[in-house]
Amino acid sequence: MKVFNIIQPRHLLILVLTLSGFSITHAHHPIHGKFDPADQIEFSGIVSKVDWRNPHVHVFVNVINGNDQVNWAVEMENPNILIANNWDENSLLPGDAINVSGIRARDGSRQIWGENVRLADTGRAVYTISDTSPQKPLASRPVPRWSEDNLPALGAVPGGVSGLWSYPTSTALVEDGVSVEMDAYGQLQNIGDAAQVAPMQDWALARYINRQERNLRDDPMYLDCKPPGGPRQYQSDLGLQLIEDKKNDRIFVLLGSGNRNFRIIHLDGRNQRGLVGGDDDNPLFYGRSTGQWEGDTLVVNTTGFNEGFWFTNGGLPHTDLLTMVEKFTRSNQDTLQYEVTIDDPGAYTRPWTASWELSWVGNTELPFSLCQHNRQ
Amino acid sequence: MFKRLIKGLAVILGIGLLSTHLYAQEGHPLKGSWIGEWTGNSDHGDFVLIVMDWNGEEVTGMINPGTDNMEIENVDLDPSNWSVEISAGGHTIEATIENLELPSRSLAGSWSSSNGRGAFEIVRQ
Repeated sequence: MKVFNIIQPRHLLILVLTLSGFSITHAHHPIHGKFDPADQIEFSGIVSKVDWRNPHVHVFVNVINGNDQVNWAVEMENPNILIANNWDENSLLPGDAINVSGIRARDGSRQIWGENVRLADTGRAVYTISDTSPQKPLASRPVPRWSEDNLPALGAVPGGVSGLWSYPTSTALVEDGVSVEMDAYGQLQNIGDAAQVAPMQDWALARYINRQERNLRDDPMYLDCKPPGGPRQYQSDLGLQLIEDKKNDRIFVLLGSGNRNFRIIHLDGRNQRGLVGGDDDNPLFYGRSTGQWEGDTLVVNTTGFNEGFWFTNGGLPHTDLLTMVEKFTRSNQDTLQYEVTIDDPGAYTRPWTASWELSWVGNTELPFSLCQHNRQ
Repeated sequence: MFKRLIKGLAVILGIGLLSTHLYAQEGHPLKGSWIGEWTGNSDHGDFVLIVMDWNGEEVTGMINPGTDNMEIENVDLDPSNWSVEISAGGHTIEATIENLELPSRSLAGSWSSSNGRGAFEIVRQ
């Protein structure tokens, strides 16, 4: 599998300089079911213990409150994500004086979701989640192409530099052309906007509102490690790789999120069919996918989904009647345009489309993240 | 004796359905297999098993499949309060979905027919 070596050494230099240092950005699941984003607090205290374990790291802090000393639990991301953000097990030690800011637990207990931790004496930031996408080069770099068919390479650039796609410009499904405010987890700023998000049937809208009003706490990806099937696999901060197996006419989608799952897109012209007796005998989390190239765009048809998961951050419902048509276009070396058309007559009144972009992050591999680790 | 046999077969069928529907169901909230009781139903016994499906336009299904086999004639769902009315075999069930967010959500209310009425509660399996 050879590709044109269209990348010059200076391009590689730019690539390494600008795109190295991949850091995972935000939380891997909604935390607003437990913590209230409207209840921002901050305090100072002395670290009494650091509990470095899955699913979440906890830092316990003794805080003087009048004449009393109380202990607060600062809950943070899992060790994988903290390590990717330059935090390690020894970044804080018992006895360190720190300033903490974050959002407080909804139940009023002394728990806070830590968003920012600083050493009290120097003010040095020990931990803060970065939310910036990699800086792209000033000049758009050309799309790498395969030598045998001149089609765009969807994965690693020629020359063996590894990489992945991440930093999605949208992390929740919203119909193209609709403007509603929501956070990175798909939580609406205003529940009154729910009906605008997508053309839902009445029951689907009511169920979506129910999930939103419960602050997404019922998300089966969080509760039960259910895979991020459907478009959700392209909404993750943990990234994905598209590995093209030209010899066997298929593409592997390797996911940094979920349970380190993979999905296969068949390009060999096969028909959609199930494993035994048809198209409905074995509904799947990732469905069954066939694809073909239309010019420089890969068009993928996927059906055969089960109903055991949420197919997007934010909790829009789907049914097993869902057919998903995805279009992948690498518009330049550093940009993957993703478009998905949702055709689900079980939950929506008409087909609808959403689209976003992902950025190429070079010189890195997928982070090793297993949801099951978070259940230990 | 015959009723006991029927009830036993229904329980076996229910267990069989349980083994194939253990995964969460995040789609239409009525879809799935439900087991419970319609108390005081002299025609069919207290035990009831209902299987429902959703085709995008209507809820279809059957009550006590394999035993009494009452095809569901109509289901009305009001998503504003999750109230449900099911018509089948001369029975009318009026109930409300409870614990919507759980795979093991329940449907609780009452049943009625020309031969009686009583409490109704089934749990999704």
